[in-house]
Amino acid sequence: AIMTDFPWIVNHDHSKQKEVADWLTLEIKDFVSYISPSKTEIESRNITIGKIRSSVKALWPDADLHVFGSYATDLYLPGSDIDCVINSKSGDKDNRNALYQLANHLSKDGLAIDVEVISKARVPIIKFVEPESRIHIDISFERTNGVDAAKLIRSWLDSTPGLRELVLIVKQFLHARKLNNVHTGGLGGFSIICLVFSFLHMHPRIVSREILAKDNLGVLLIDFFELYGKNFGYDDVAISVLNGEPSYLPKRSWKDLYPIRNSFSLAIQDPGDSTNNISRGSFNIRDIKKAFAGTFDMLTNQCFELNEVSLKGRSGKSILGSVIKYRGKQR
Amino acid sequence: QCPQKWKKVYCTLCDSNKHSRDRCPSIWRVYLLRDDISQERKTPKGLSLDMEKVFCYNCGLTGHFGDDCSERRSSRVPNEDGSAFSGENLSYVLK
Repeated sequence: AIMTDFPWIVNHDHSKQKEVADWLTLEIKDFVSYISPSKTEIESRNITIGKIRSSVKALWPDADLHVFGSYATDLYLPGSDIDCVINSKSGDKDNRNALYQLANHLSKDGLAIDVEVISKARVPIIKFVEPESRIHIDISFERTNGVDAAKLIRSWLDSTPGLRELVLIVKQFLHARKLNNVHTGGLGGFSIICLVFSFLHMHPRIVSREILAKDNLGVLLIDFFELYGKNFGYDDVAISVLNGEPSYLPKRSWKDLYPIRNSFSLAIQDPGDSTNNISRGSFNIRDIKKAFAGTFDMLTNQCFELNEVSLKGRSGKSILGSVIKYRGKQR
Repeated sequence: QCPQKWKKVYCTLCDSNKHSRDRCPSIWRVYLLRDDISQERKTPKGLSLDMEKVFCYNCGLTGHFGDDCSERRSSRVPNEDGSAFSGENLSYVLK
């Protein structure tokens, strides 16, 4: 195999495309299939979850374990954690004792190493690694909003072609720049999905039903970086996806948003709760906007340059490479 | 100061003096239209722009795209060449 920084372009050379936008579209599709989990990975994950579920049921017969987050929607990057939640009929598993009880039980069953019990957080969790698959797992307790959100996102994925591809690219983009961690003010997974979902439903060419997103992923990705990197009015405009209907609203007319510490902030109305701003924690929106803008400039520069280069000089080149900075293991 | 400042740029692709021809957004802003409508440029059945579904990235209201907003620009990044979110970014006249 050829060693390359862009493993997804091996045997997938699209440099002969007449339009750079089409080349980029094809490269996006290649990257998405490259990082998408293989059958083996999906099986390994399902077996792991199955084992943990049985073990939980053995400890607490009235409890069940659900997956949520990116694992439940298939929007995860290689090596990301699995988010699970345990809900029980009695609803009494949300306490320190239960957390430690489960942590010990999973360790005894040989299903958990490197266990951390985080009982003092707003959402108490246990973090551990399942030794056989080496998958990192977070378990939280007695909450349904994650499971409901995963359901909603799956319906969006069904109704919005192109959403999955663009979300994965934007996720990888933010991950490579360490801007995807809510604890450091980055964008969480749900916020990323809302940004892309809203963008796709706002785009003039999509609103007018002139184009299919699937055929235009390349130019849409550049348009995405342009919108959120250069033009979006973060000071004045909030994004809403209430009832799955994407819209904008002036921030001043969303009374529940206030008080806010900083007017330059991303506001996304929680589809399940119109009083909640799901991107409240993304206080680093300045850097995120800059990163989007910088990537817009870089991508368009690449397009101008490649447009000048002869077909021969183009072969083996990648347009996406510098955008997503993929440094994972060869897959 | 930019030493090129006295140089006039002009784009023969789109008739603009905001950029040179080799840096024209039309190089990358190329959309592949749906088969069933690219045949004819006229507005076929069921294809119209519902202005209530058009939202403005600049003021948040409906009825116009962000580039076409008459309010003070909210973002401090200039938008000289126009963006995707403009009434101009439609292949036939629906403005």
